[in-house]
Amino acid sequence: MRFGRVLTALACVALLGTSSACREREGTAKGDRAELGTQPGAPVPDAARAQQDSVVATRVDTAVSPGALGTVPAAPVDLWHGPGDRPFEVALRTGDPASAMSRRFGRITLRTSLRTRAADLGQYPCTSCHLGRRIVLADDRVADAHQNITVVHPQQTGGTCSTCHAADNVELLALKSGERATLDHTYRLCAQCHFSQAEAWAAGAHGKRLDGWQGRRVLMGCADCHDPHQPALEPRIPFRAPRIERIRGSGK
Amino acid sequence: MTSDPTTEVPRDEAGQTLLQKRVDRRRALGILLGGAAAGTSAVAACAPVSAMTPESKEAKLLAWREYIKGNYRTMTEAERAETIARLERLAELKRGVDVTIQSTGAQPGVVFGYGFNISKCKGFRSCVEACINENNLDRRAATQYIRIFEMEDGVIDFDHADATFQHEVPAEGHFYIGTQCFQCADPPCVKVCPVGATWQEPDGITVVDYDWCIGCRYCMAACPYWARRFNWDEPEVPAAELNTNQHYLGNRARKAGVVEKCHFCIHRTRKGQLPACAEACPTGARVFGNLLDPNSEIRWVLANKRIFRLKEDLKIEPRFWYFTD
Repeated sequence: MRFGRVLTALACVALLGTSSACREREGTAKGDRAELGTQPGAPVPDAARAQQDSVVATRVDTAVSPGALGTVPAAPVDLWHGPGDRPFEVALRTGDPASAMSRRFGRITLRTSLRTRAADLGQYPCTSCHLGRRIVLADDRVADAHQNITVVHPQQTGGTCSTCHAADNVELLALKSGERATLDHTYRLCAQCHFSQAEAWAAGAHGKRLDGWQGRRVLMGCADCHDPHQPALEPRIPFRAPRIERIRGSGK
Repeated sequence: MTSDPTTEVPRDEAGQTLLQKRVDRRRALGILLGGAAAGTSAVAACAPVSAMTPESKEAKLLAWREYIKGNYRTMTEAERAETIARLERLAELKRGVDVTIQSTGAQPGVVFGYGFNISKCKGFRSCVEACINENNLDRRAATQYIRIFEMEDGVIDFDHADATFQHEVPAEGHFYIGTQCFQCADPPCVKVCPVGATWQEPDGITVVDYDWCIGCRYCMAACPYWARRFNWDEPEVPAAELNTNQHYLGNRARKAGVVEKCHFCIHRTRKGQLPACAEACPTGARVFGNLLDPNSEIRWVLANKRIFRLKEDLKIEPRFWYFTD
């Protein structure tokens, strides 16, 4: 009887936790958009974008949407921008957990996210544990709870969890300026140190472009390719080697 | 870019003179046999009547009409639509596949350029896989347009590079560099074609008319980058794996005895999409864009990165630049 009551209470807490987390995320997203509206790099309708984009050509096919991932307008970052101040969007990693791990490009399915947070992390959302608590450092429980994280990057740079994660809300990233960025805008955090990569990323020489060379640009965020805790790409076996071309019989 | 490709006259003078002959071989054949209608009866007469199902009869007629059609460049819009309808119907009759063949022309104000980041490429060959699937490359001969070379750090030396590596990549102390058709602004392959079956389009893509090619392979000998491939047999693609989104000058069905090559995914790029290789690259080493748009990604790379091209001394102006971070 008493045990049952404890269970109910736990369920209630869990429910409250998830709903409040949702509200929180909606809030931050709205905040980001509002902030964008006042900036020069604010999103503009597709047609206007295509016009601004190319000298003569307008985009013929705007309905190119491989995969089910969503996008968010990129927040402007000081000192770097795309060529011609063109606005761009970043692919949203957490749009649909089922498709978050891979994305269909025409006829092939490509694993775009090496470590997609929502799909890969059993502990997501973070508030399931961190609700109302601050990050506790130098505690053995950290390693136990986050076994899937290999902390290569923090060790190399001498950082701690709270160097990048906001101590009071672990689902947000803490920028040096005191601002907070959502997990969809990892580039704002990474660009603080990797500014040359960020500049090339915004201009198109680093990272992937997803939706075509004309019209709307969709970029993948930093954490879509790089595991932030272990940023180097993992080695793998390549696709099969070419066969040397030679004369063959007709075989018929 | 040292020359402006848009102001250049397409270099197909040789081809044009050949094409402007009043009566060419195919038309003469057609006239001799009394045009397409007489052709039908001739074909029908040659085959035992009992063996002809309506489908095979239709297929034979269509194949005959295909045989006496002209070069793609000399066709009117109506003729192009007719041949595409015939090719689509033939694909349905022969292979039971429902393909769509485009004849989309070049967009005005667009010349395509390609950038390849040799600091980023890790040799995964995802681009090769995407290219094979996208362009219906022959599975039996294992044709590949793209080659990825593994080279030792420090020097670019294709003589000692390995394009057939098959081990976990990236290998320590090595870097990777990919080649494909570079869509030269002054393509030697076009100059040597004796029949005008290959030419440069206004957006810079060098294409092949597979129904006009005679398979002499002069173009393969002329290409300094080994970018062209010859079909010793009719390419085999399982119907389930066939990409039905096709272009007349791109990835439509090839025949035995004709040359094919990378065409920057003409069926995709002319609609604003990226080529399949650029879209598939998991490292973002491939940059594609419009060279005439000063705000394009490729122009940013050309303006801000250290770039080089292969065999620049040949002065054939490949539109494919390598760069480093």
